[in-house]
Amino acid sequence: MAVDITLLFRASVKTVKTRNKALGVAVGGGVDGSRDELFRRSPRPKGDFSSRAREVISHIGKLRDFLLEHRKDYINAYSHVMSEYGRMTDTERDQIDQDAQTFMRTCSEAIQQLRTQAHKEIYSQQVKEHRSAVLDFVEDYLKRVCKLYSEQRAIRVKRVVDKKRLSKLEPEPNTKARESTSSEKGSQHPSQESEEKPATEEYPEKVPAESQPELGTWGEGKGDDELSPEEIQMFEQENQRLIGEMNSLFDEVRQIEGRVVEISRLQEIFTEKVLQQEAEIDSIHQLVVGATENIKEGNEDIREAIKNNAGFRVWVLFFLVMCSFSLLFLDWYDS
Amino acid sequence: AAAAASIRERQTVALKRMLNFNVPHVKNSTGEPVWKVLIYDRFGQDIISPLLSVKELRDMGITLHLLLHSDRDPIPDVPAVYFVMPTEENIDRMCQDLRNQLYESYYLNFISAISRSKLEDIANAALAASAVTQVAKVFDQYLNFITLEDDMFVLCNQNKELVSYRAINRPDITDTEMETVMDTIVDSLFCFFVTLGAVPIIRCSRGTAAEMVAVKLDKKLRENLRDARNSLFTGDTLGAGQFSFQRPLLVLVDRNIDLATPLHHTWTYQALVHDVLDFHLNRVNLEESSGVENSPAGARPKRKNKKSYDLTPVDKFWQKHKGSPFPEVAESVQQELESYRAQEDEVKRLKSIMGLEGEDEGAISMLSDNTAKLTSAVSSLPELLEKKRLIDLHTNVATAVLEHIKARKLDVYFEYEEKIMSKTTLDKSLLDIISDPDAGTPEDKMRLFLIYYISAQQAPSEADLEQYKKALTDAGCNLNPLQYIKQWKAFAKMASAPASYGNTTTKPMGLLSRVMNTGSQFVMEGVKNLVLKQQNLPVTRILDNLMEMKSNPETDDYRYFDPKMLRGNDSSVPRNKNPFQEAIVFVVGGGNYIEYQNLVDYIKGKQGKHILYGCSELFNATQFIKQLSQLGQ
Repeated sequence: MAVDITLLFRASVKTVKTRNKALGVAVGGGVDGSRDELFRRSPRPKGDFSSRAREVISHIGKLRDFLLEHRKDYINAYSHVMSEYGRMTDTERDQIDQDAQTFMRTCSEAIQQLRTQAHKEIYSQQVKEHRSAVLDFVEDYLKRVCKLYSEQRAIRVKRVVDKKRLSKLEPEPNTKARESTSSEKGSQHPSQESEEKPATEEYPEKVPAESQPELGTWGEGKGDDELSPEEIQMFEQENQRLIGEMNSLFDEVRQIEGRVVEISRLQEIFTEKVLQQEAEIDSIHQLVVGATENIKEGNEDIREAIKNNAGFRVWVLFFLVMCSFSLLFLDWYDS
Repeated sequence: AAAAASIRERQTVALKRMLNFNVPHVKNSTGEPVWKVLIYDRFGQDIISPLLSVKELRDMGITLHLLLHSDRDPIPDVPAVYFVMPTEENIDRMCQDLRNQLYESYYLNFISAISRSKLEDIANAALAASAVTQVAKVFDQYLNFITLEDDMFVLCNQNKELVSYRAINRPDITDTEMETVMDTIVDSLFCFFVTLGAVPIIRCSRGTAAEMVAVKLDKKLRENLRDARNSLFTGDTLGAGQFSFQRPLLVLVDRNIDLATPLHHTWTYQALVHDVLDFHLNRVNLEESSGVENSPAGARPKRKNKKSYDLTPVDKFWQKHKGSPFPEVAESVQQELESYRAQEDEVKRLKSIMGLEGEDEGAISMLSDNTAKLTSAVSSLPELLEKKRLIDLHTNVATAVLEHIKARKLDVYFEYEEKIMSKTTLDKSLLDIISDPDAGTPEDKMRLFLIYYISAQQAPSEADLEQYKKALTDAGCNLNPLQYIKQWKAFAKMASAPASYGNTTTKPMGLLSRVMNTGSQFVMEGVKNLVLKQQNLPVTRILDNLMEMKSNPETDDYRYFDPKMLRGNDSSVPRNKNPFQEAIVFVVGGGNYIEYQNLVDYIKGKQGKHILYGCSELFNATQFIKQLSQLGQ
């Protein structure tokens, strides 16, 4: 358990002050001291590193607060049936997304700028290290806040996809015509869904009612309003068959949807890894280029050495031949 | 009670709180980053390094961590957290920092309590530099001990010569020096109990250094408890409630009751690493020789790389196998390697399946479970990489240990010493082993002989002794430790009967042909697979007696201190008749991993009981022999 002796410290400061006064020692502190401190602090440059870093942090904090504030509304699925306060239309959501994105871009640019500037001005190793660590922290903070944003956006996208799926696969082929007409009315999703929902509720009742006029429109080709029971039965069988087909299609499509979502997740992971590896590959590339240069130079040096060696040998040979000739000459001269 | 038993957690929590400007640390995923600079001295460094890695420091917002007495540049606008001992030089340097205005604000944390006069020195400097408001907080942390394991701590590393076995048992020690040594030990023990949050019941043997420590510690605890206003043991210490019914038992023993264990050759993984390699504060330094090829003539000799590994609580393999006998460790590493390879193969197989996907439409049906498998494989990749790193680490360490074992025939020594210590019949004569030129370094032989000498009931005859001495000097040993041990033995005989080591035996299991057949990396031919039988070392036995309130002539006359009792100090009659649930064993004069492992094994058998092991310094046999030879000169 740690013991807080700050108060003890302050008390000793007071004791020392009074003691110094009593002894008449020149007091560096006292009332003037506090003013001195203020003076000492103000001339410090305002635009300097840590204040700018703190600015970036406060910006990111604002973004975070903004996102958290609107998060509940953003995610709220039933906003179209709730009261005014909770509602958030899609346009508003898009607006939020865009704003957040531009904000994040400016923040990361600011961080990059800070990084380049920070390394230019200072020569001390420790300060450099400190600054790069500080920038790492700020980037990490930004990443965390971005994660908030991407989470809620992922939820939204998923919900939209689900809605689309529901709205497309619910109606049977008989209502395809109706769908095309309703899609002309305008495709605000909530309105579409609201239309589809009552539509689907009414559907079972409407089918018998509407099948007649629908069939009637097709049957106009026949020019007949009455249909023989066999034809009705045939059409009903066809209906059933088509229902079965559509159901299986629906199942397959749902499966594929699920898989595609998983694949997209995998893609995310992979891109992350690939980006990481990119940096490493770059450095490896540099190393390899350097290595090839070194090897080339090495080859050159070896060639030089071989040449020198060969030249040396030629001279040695020459010398030996000259010696032997001179010996022969002397021998001949002597005899 | 389990929460209270992990001294490592408590110290880590205390450190993190300190790093968080002395406000309890709360993890917040969307919190704003706060950055700070950490300044420590060597003591602080030793305390922090086994507990927090550099990454964890980063997570707490520390951008730079620097030594107090290094050149530091001014970094404006940054709060600085200081974690130092309140010594003269440190205080001077801190005052200098204040004068030079290096940082924006200062949070001073002293490892042990600072005296009033030194506090005034700082106040003086702060006034002179007009920096009083910059000193934001001053704390006494009471963390003057180093925790190595969940249940093991050491007093200090930097000034261990001050409290070493040699320092305490020197014949030429003066009273004042002894007082300083005792004060240092008591200070650390006091900090330990403050962090633990409990007031122990102290028992110690009479007439030893341990008794002096006990008296002083009791006094210090008592003074602190009396001072109700400033007591460190009241209310707000967490876990105090858990302790109010059961107080822990502190057993203070002196190294002199058992000199054979530090010299013993060992067979468990952690103890072996400590004995044979350079193992220090949970970090092992290996020299890797890069291959034994014949270097071409004229080439420079290959440089050996130095590698160092941290053996941390996160390392699951280490935690599981620290106390296992070495062959088991070798097997487990093999198993881990195989399971890792199997997982790797599975990931690779998925890769080839994915390769089919583009060509074959029928692969879409395979896609469903493969996507799931792929996701899980990819997300488990970091784990796999980590596992691989650990396996590599342990392979290297274990190989290094194995090389030493083979070179010095440590298994032979271990077996022989076990036999000596348990007083079973010896199949080879001691003289043979000592004169055997390829078994072990001279130091090993000295250790063996000393163990024999210590555990022999009667001293060997003069003629035998001369023979042994000659053999030892032939083998190249220094005989100084023997001098000291003779003196010690004479003294110990006078004081009490020498401790016996239990009556169990080891069972050697011959060559491990199975291991050879699997073609494992660890070729253990010639290394016997010795199975350790549980035997209680003297320290464990003493603990057992005291904890279970058994009556035993050895421990009956141990002194009893209870700092919470109002009345005077000691009585030999323990007031508390129930067995203790928590105990702390502290060896004054030095301890080692063998004793620690023995205690851990002992307590594993008992449900719901916890033991903490501490010593004033941690040495391996080499260092101990050096101290003995210095004493014997």
